[in-house]
Amino acid sequence: MAGSFLSRESTIAPPGFSRAMVPPAALAVHLSIGQVYAFSTFNLPLTHLIGLTHSAPGDWDIKEVVVTFSIAIAILGLAAALFGPWVERVGPRKSMFVAALCFGGGFIVSAVGVHYHSLFLIYLGYGVLGGCGLGIGYISPVSTLIKWFPDRPGVATGLAIMGFGGGALIAAPLSVLLMAHFRTPTSNGVLETFVTMGVIYFMFMMIGVYSARVPAEGWKPAGWTPPATPPPLVTQAHVAVDVAWRTPQFWLLWVVLCMNVTAGIGVLGQASPMIQEIFAGRVNAATAAGFVGLLSFFNMIGRFFWASTSDYIGRRNTYTVFFALGILLYFSVPSLGRAGSLPLFVAAFVVILSMYGGGFATVPAYLRDIFGTMHVGAIHGRLLTAWAVAGVLGPTLITSIRAYELKSGVPKAQTYSVTMYLMCAFLLIGLICNFCMRPVDEKHHHRAAAPQRSP
Amino acid sequence: MKAKSVLLWLAVGVPLLWGVVKTLQNAMKLF
Repeated sequence: MAGSFLSRESTIAPPGFSRAMVPPAALAVHLSIGQVYAFSTFNLPLTHLIGLTHSAPGDWDIKEVVVTFSIAIAILGLAAALFGPWVERVGPRKSMFVAALCFGGGFIVSAVGVHYHSLFLIYLGYGVLGGCGLGIGYISPVSTLIKWFPDRPGVATGLAIMGFGGGALIAAPLSVLLMAHFRTPTSNGVLETFVTMGVIYFMFMMIGVYSARVPAEGWKPAGWTPPATPPPLVTQAHVAVDVAWRTPQFWLLWVVLCMNVTAGIGVLGQASPMIQEIFAGRVNAATAAGFVGLLSFFNMIGRFFWASTSDYIGRRNTYTVFFALGILLYFSVPSLGRAGSLPLFVAAFVVILSMYGGGFATVPAYLRDIFGTMHVGAIHGRLLTAWAVAGVLGPTLITSIRAYELKSGVPKAQTYSVTMYLMCAFLLIGLICNFCMRPVDEKHHHRAAAPQRSP
Repeated sequence: MKAKSVLLWLAVGVPLLWGVVKTLQNAMKLF
């Protein structure tokens, strides 16, 4: 019974089904898994499990706790790459259900880890199990949305992936509220918050499971016909996932995504100390938290704005804007800091973060343009390994360079300048790779008359 | 179908709106 409900066949939309119901299904999943960006709200409480209000002997070190986030992001990339073909084959409903089980279950296992004070269980629960939920959940609606919105793929995927950015905006205040609610003289509320969030997110993701539908074979939006002469770099052919990742186009896009994410993620992780040190005396920890919130907001808005814009100006042009404007902004940030211009400094970073989010949201449509729709979800899954690499590369580089400069006697406020120039170099590499993008050679096109499902 | 669609949009839109308002309230402290 449950197997039948979850099967791909039972999700084929009946005649008269409104495609407007598909984006909320995708949003329900992405708003949930986007919680990962707010995991840092648990960092400090997890180091106070024994001492409750302070770190006591036996409490975990902050460096040990933050590894949880890195594991989750690395597993996200691996799970998306490994399970991509499976997600294509079983459809959105079953994959969303498995993602909900993994993500909700990850919280529950982590709660057990808090109970027994086992960091291994936290890594295993939120990091590995939750990371699998993140990876499967992230790619589960992408292919479906692209098939429902062939006329506006950027708008559709931008809307869903905007949810991943928006998830942090919900999760950060929700975590704080729940921990305050469950705090007692013997507990700082983390265990109960993990259990509650596991249940809430599982239920919320069920909205997606319940309402996900795939279009019937050959379905097209009313009154829409594919353009007779598609724009340059937009194919009407299909490339299979096992062929796609052997093409230069896949690796060019991999580098494009990796460079864009490295530049953004490095800043996102350092935003709070950076603004406090550059504007010492004017920005304290509380206002810096406001800055981080603002960055998260623009990370979310950028996902919808830039992905939608790409439907009009093209994917390659959109990434050209990301890289060219990004270089300009990163290059100007040290000067803005030295000039003491807080509003301009903030403005530069909100635009940078909008383009960071925009990079994630525009890439599914870019893949669809280059490789067609047949295995776009699975190809997207493999491309997300770039995120896993960037998730390690960005923060590690920024932290190492900063530590080296501090050791060399560079004043704190100036240590970020070299990092910003390094980000310009990353973006330049991305710009060159994006510029080199060409249509896939016809010899790689799938030959079957009808599109086949992923193996 | 239309009512179902509205309900779905509300189910995802209301929590998101709550998160956005909370975040922007916090961000206002910056200026």
